[in-house]
Amino acid sequence: MSTYREASHITTGKFVDPTPAPAEAAHPEVGATSAPLKSAAFFIGSYCKDYNEDFMLCKNENNDPAHCLKEGRKVTRCAMDLITKLRENCEKEWEAHYKCLEKHNQEYYACRKPERTFNECVFSKLKLEKVIPGASNTPVHLRESTIYN
Amino acid sequence: MPVPFEALIPLGLITGFFGVSGFFFQKLKTSINEGQPPRYGLDRWDRVMLDRDYRLTGTQRGQAHQTTAPSAFSTNSAWNLEKEHL
Repeated sequence: MSTYREASHITTGKFVDPTPAPAEAAHPEVGATSAPLKSAAFFIGSYCKDYNEDFMLCKNENNDPAHCLKEGRKVTRCAMDLITKLRENCEKEWEAHYKCLEKHNQEYYACRKPERTFNECVFSKLKLEKVIPGASNTPVHLRESTIYN
Repeated sequence: MPVPFEALIPLGLITGFFGVSGFFFQKLKTSINEGQPPRYGLDRWDRVMLDRDYRLTGTQRGQAHQTTAPSAFSTNSAWNLEKEHL
């Protein structure tokens, strides 16, 4: 699993999947695309810290995908839980921030204003704060004047 | 010596051609990317995420913030269609 290649040598015509259906039902997956996830990334990191660390330590033992399925499901469930909470409480601010990110190549520096509103909403309703680990001076998302404001 | 206005005609033409082609190129890029500027500087992570976005929403640059993925998401990966390489 060292490289990723897009599926390009695709067969044409009718395709029937020969592998048998799995014994248990397929597990639900997170329904958020890349921009909402990037917008909520730091909140997912702080809300789901225990499950994420569990999963990373498990992967560190053994990189086989089958080894860490249980921890992976916990990570997925935690992220889905946070997305539900964000949809209930701060949906408009979240949408504004990730729509801004989509217009600017998903770069954080270009969207500080909607990010500020979103962070304030999440802090007031869900008590989650965005913390950049290892920031020496004022973290960049808290600075009053930046170049790309 | 009066201003040589004939020299400004090709200047105006060239500027006009640049402007028109730039305008249409911008419109084309925006229409491909559903009203947004195109993504640039994409690495492997971004390409994989763009592929996942396409599988989740059905359009190239669509975004969704649902809790659960639609049921088609579990089976619409193109990897199952890959030919076997032996």
